[in-house]
Amino acid sequence: MGPTPYNSSNSSSSACSSSTKPPPPQPPDQMDHLLAGAGYKVRSNDLTQVAERLEHLETVMVKSSPVDISDIGNDAVYYNPTDLASWVDSLLTELNPNVSGSGSGSGSGSGSGFVSGSGPAYVSDPVMNDMNNVYGEFGQQVVTPIEEDVSIRLVHVLMTCAEAVQRGDMSLAGLLIDDLQGLLGRVNSGCGIGKVGSFFVDALSRRVVNSPQNGVVQVDLSAYENEILYHHYYEACPYLKFAHFTANQAILEAFDGQDCVHVIDFNLMQGLQWPALIQALALRPGGPPLLRLTGIGPPSLDGRDSLREIGLKLAELARSVNVRFAFRGVAASRLDDVKPWMLQVSPKEAVAVNSIMQLHKLLGPGGPRGPPVDLVLDWIRDLNPRILMVVEQESNHNQPEFLDRFTESLYYYSTMFDSLDACTAQPEKTLAELYIQREICNVVCCEGSARVERHEPLVRWRERLTGAGFAPLHLGSNAFKQARMLLTLFSAEGYSVEENEGCLTLGWHSRPLIAASAWQAIPKPSVVTTGR
Amino acid sequence: MVHILENGEHFRADNREPEPEHEGFGSGFSINDHLDLLIEVLKRLDGRSLGAAACVCRQWCAIARNDSLWEHLCFRHVSPPPVGVRPVVSALGGYRRLYMVCVRPVLSRLKRRRLGGESEVVRRVWNQHEVELSLSLFCVEYYERLLVGGGRVAGDSPSSSLKFLCMPVNV
Repeated sequence: MGPTPYNSSNSSSSACSSSTKPPPPQPPDQMDHLLAGAGYKVRSNDLTQVAERLEHLETVMVKSSPVDISDIGNDAVYYNPTDLASWVDSLLTELNPNVSGSGSGSGSGSGSGFVSGSGPAYVSDPVMNDMNNVYGEFGQQVVTPIEEDVSIRLVHVLMTCAEAVQRGDMSLAGLLIDDLQGLLGRVNSGCGIGKVGSFFVDALSRRVVNSPQNGVVQVDLSAYENEILYHHYYEACPYLKFAHFTANQAILEAFDGQDCVHVIDFNLMQGLQWPALIQALALRPGGPPLLRLTGIGPPSLDGRDSLREIGLKLAELARSVNVRFAFRGVAASRLDDVKPWMLQVSPKEAVAVNSIMQLHKLLGPGGPRGPPVDLVLDWIRDLNPRILMVVEQESNHNQPEFLDRFTESLYYYSTMFDSLDACTAQPEKTLAELYIQREICNVVCCEGSARVERHEPLVRWRERLTGAGFAPLHLGSNAFKQARMLLTLFSAEGYSVEENEGCLTLGWHSRPLIAASAWQAIPKPSVVTTGR
Repeated sequence: MVHILENGEHFRADNREPEPEHEGFGSGFSINDHLDLLIEVLKRLDGRSLGAAACVCRQWCAIARNDSLWEHLCFRHVSPPPVGVRPVVSALGGYRRLYMVCVRPVLSRLKRRRLGGESEVVRRVWNQHEVELSLSLFCVEYYERLLVGGGRVAGDSPSSSLKFLCMPVNV
């Protein structure tokens, strides 16, 4: 059902005439795009009035006897539901002839029997019902009724725009994006839905403008810029710290009693995870083992060997605390480019593989031999690690349908931004937001092999890892206590750590945002050559 | 009773009690001449008082900067006392820095959570986990200074990874 935005032939002009509200900056006959997308024709000016009347209708219907309602049902031919305003008026008149359901000025001005104008009616429609859930997350801060109105509308229009993008209706999407820009101007963009909404609007507009079918390719930042954003994200919120401390605790326990240990880090960055492990190994009863660290990272293009530099700093720290240490850097732009022989694992040592938010990048379209993640999990299993530590975002941003991904990521990232609001340190907060924005952009704009942020929830990872020949290791109570203590040190009170079948999740107000789990490899059964 | 005062001014051979004004124990006795006593006293102070003591005079400043005093402060309420920690902490910057940068903010944050915002000094016993966490945070902080460059102790302000500890708690 195509929208007709500028069709002013509307028989309800007598019913919903001049409103007493100040005129909004739109031509008076303009139809609301949002409802047009759902097949209803309502003028933008009349929205509040129609909403109030719908609520009133609901109240009246609840109070009416079933006989009255079934009468209405039989007379359906007299009503034209597309013209929503007059349809509601007619029903109201039918059910309660004493109440005049129309007339100018009977909108937000009159009190009795009408709910106040700050609560819009939710048309029952599956898309809109999802939005109720999303809006629940935004209700944290105090907003004025007008702002609440705009916020809700912002979310509604975002969802409609995403739906239009999924359908391929780029012209409607473009119009909706203009609407969204207007709405963003009217809402507080310093916090809450205003801020995260602006990132989503930006991502959608890039997708619509640039390459609607195939998605855009995100501009790559240099490794140095990536590190800076990552570092500030590390400092502004506890997610990475939680990941590092939990992983270190699990690795420490797995290395108990071992004299030669080898840690393989799938994303070295600046090596912020490893000082704490080195120190814990230095203090362990029985003395420190020989520690080898292999750090995987992107090749640096500017001539600096950043992996080696980080290795040197870690070695300096290890030397100060008397831990025998050896470092090796492996430069690879993608994890599936790494081959096991590059890691030089010796059979006598205990191996730990550490993947902090890296495995999801391998879920993209695979080559002829299958999806990259299965190949990588296979060679990890061949290394026979004592522990494989997996920390991933707890959300499903890898669904095949764009609208599902969009909805889920809107919910997820608004929760994350809420938690970030508590951080006041600058520039950490701004750069952390930039880091998250890049993730949002990747989830929303990109497709195919360019889309690397393919987050999947813990249940999916459990299935995948169990299927690949790994058995779960329970993260002990030490890890849990440490995580809880770490969180009490952060000034915001909304963080929560939960234990979920041996895995730990960190979340904001009972919505888990990041999940840590530990696995060990089941040795492969010896293969009898049957000529496969 | 005979009282022989240090500078030999008075000599009493009778049994009367000394009058307190002129012949009290304090005059002529200086704590600065008994540094072992001074250290024993300073060992029992809390962090804030120890810092204040360091401002009294140059000698006290030098003594108060003695790392073993701060070691005592950091871990005197730890049960059981940690073993083998000293070389590690010394390598990472010393106990005084550990206290300023990690222990004091961690303790005050944990205590405020417990008491819900009152700022009363409470003597509490740490447990092993809290000690380990503080040491880990201290190590990360040392490493961050290494990354920035230098690696030497640069004043008492922590590097950025511990800024979150200094942020005010929402009371």
